[in-house]
Amino acid sequence: MKYTPRQPESNVNVTPTSPLREFFVLTGGLLGLVVGVYLLLGLAVDLIVPHISTDLEGKMAVYFIGSIDAKDANSQREYYVQSLMENLQGRCAKLPYRFTVHVREASAVNALALPGGHVMVFTGLLEKVSSENELAFVLAHEMGHYAHRDHLRGVGRAVVLMTISAFLFGQDSSVSKVLAHALNITELSFSRKQETRADEFALETINCAYGHVAGVADFFNKISKEQDPGKFGHYFASHPENLRRISHLENIIQSRGFELAEPKPLPKGIQQSKN
Amino acid sequence: MYDLLLFLTLIAIGYVAGTLTEKRHYRSIHNREKAFLHLPAVTMKTVDYPEEKVKSAELVYGSAVISIDYFKKILAGLRNIFGGTVKSYETLVDRARREAVLRMKEKAGDATVIVNVRIETATIGRKANKKGVGCLEAIAYGTALRLEK
Repeated sequence: MKYTPRQPESNVNVTPTSPLREFFVLTGGLLGLVVGVYLLLGLAVDLIVPHISTDLEGKMAVYFIGSIDAKDANSQREYYVQSLMENLQGRCAKLPYRFTVHVREASAVNALALPGGHVMVFTGLLEKVSSENELAFVLAHEMGHYAHRDHLRGVGRAVVLMTISAFLFGQDSSVSKVLAHALNITELSFSRKQETRADEFALETINCAYGHVAGVADFFNKISKEQDPGKFGHYFASHPENLRRISHLENIIQSRGFELAEPKPLPKGIQQSKN
Repeated sequence: MYDLLLFLTLIAIGYVAGTLTEKRHYRSIHNREKAFLHLPAVTMKTVDYPEEKVKSAELVYGSAVISIDYFKKILAGLRNIFGGTVKSYETLVDRARREAVLRMKEKAGDATVIVNVRIETATIGRKANKKGVGCLEAIAYGTALRLEK
């Protein structure tokens, strides 16, 4: 047998293909699939949430709260915020929750409504407010989220989101990061309606508790002037359109004839930077 | 947002750089294969040749490590979900094997034929948590024979 050396004309081991086209087709299909599942499960969350009793929620909350239960060093502040919240609840916002306030050392101007009535307040918020009314408004806003069970919807969707991407790609793959970004956009537009409802709830509560609504718009005015969403972290990054919210609040104040008066100052020792 | 931007930049860099490198590598492979046509590398264990005419027989090997680029990695990740041929890795395996064979032939010097050629592949440079870009190593080895004409 004679051996004739020659190079093969074609390469059978490499499929002639357009990788870019493949990339776009696969990405599109995946995004479509995930968005579809997410919307379906989101619907399921919306259906289930109104039927979850506060009792069951408290039991569920243990899983979320376990890690944040650490005590704040300055318990005087925690005690103050807690009593302010209980005062609001007892007099004006009758909700079937036992609220627990956690004051957290962090610069974020932020407060979070967590499942089971656990409200997390960051010290950045305590330093930023200039009167008790402002702080009460933020607390009442969070209570508004509890009144409408928004916090459960938020957690429900977050759980769905995490589950899908972790299931598909593992905990911290770059693909799931991109998906998280794409899905966060719908999450934001979803929460905008909830913010407005919580604002309205807070306005009613503040008017009931103090007999006037001073300090409410002050807080938003202060925030929107600084115009730095990064600095204020999650709270105001996910609470966009502050100006729209202010004008909405002012509309209600005018049409309902709520009064404005002198806001009540904060007690000493709450704002450490000013002592 | 910055994460997304970084991700897209990495993909773009991966695609452009990966495509360019691949084209250049294939050109080089093609040319060198042409130059080495006179040296056959076969999988037969021996050649039908009188033993006294075999001047030398020695082990030759060549290995090459080819890294995947970010674009290929993402593309393969997407393929992992839907299934099917992972086309984006085909060129990697192909390049690594052919490069390894070429290097083996270079090592063989003035040999007449390389017999009993085997090619093996392995992944290296992958961390335990399976993050990071992996590399593919191909090693080709065989016995180079110098025959008296």
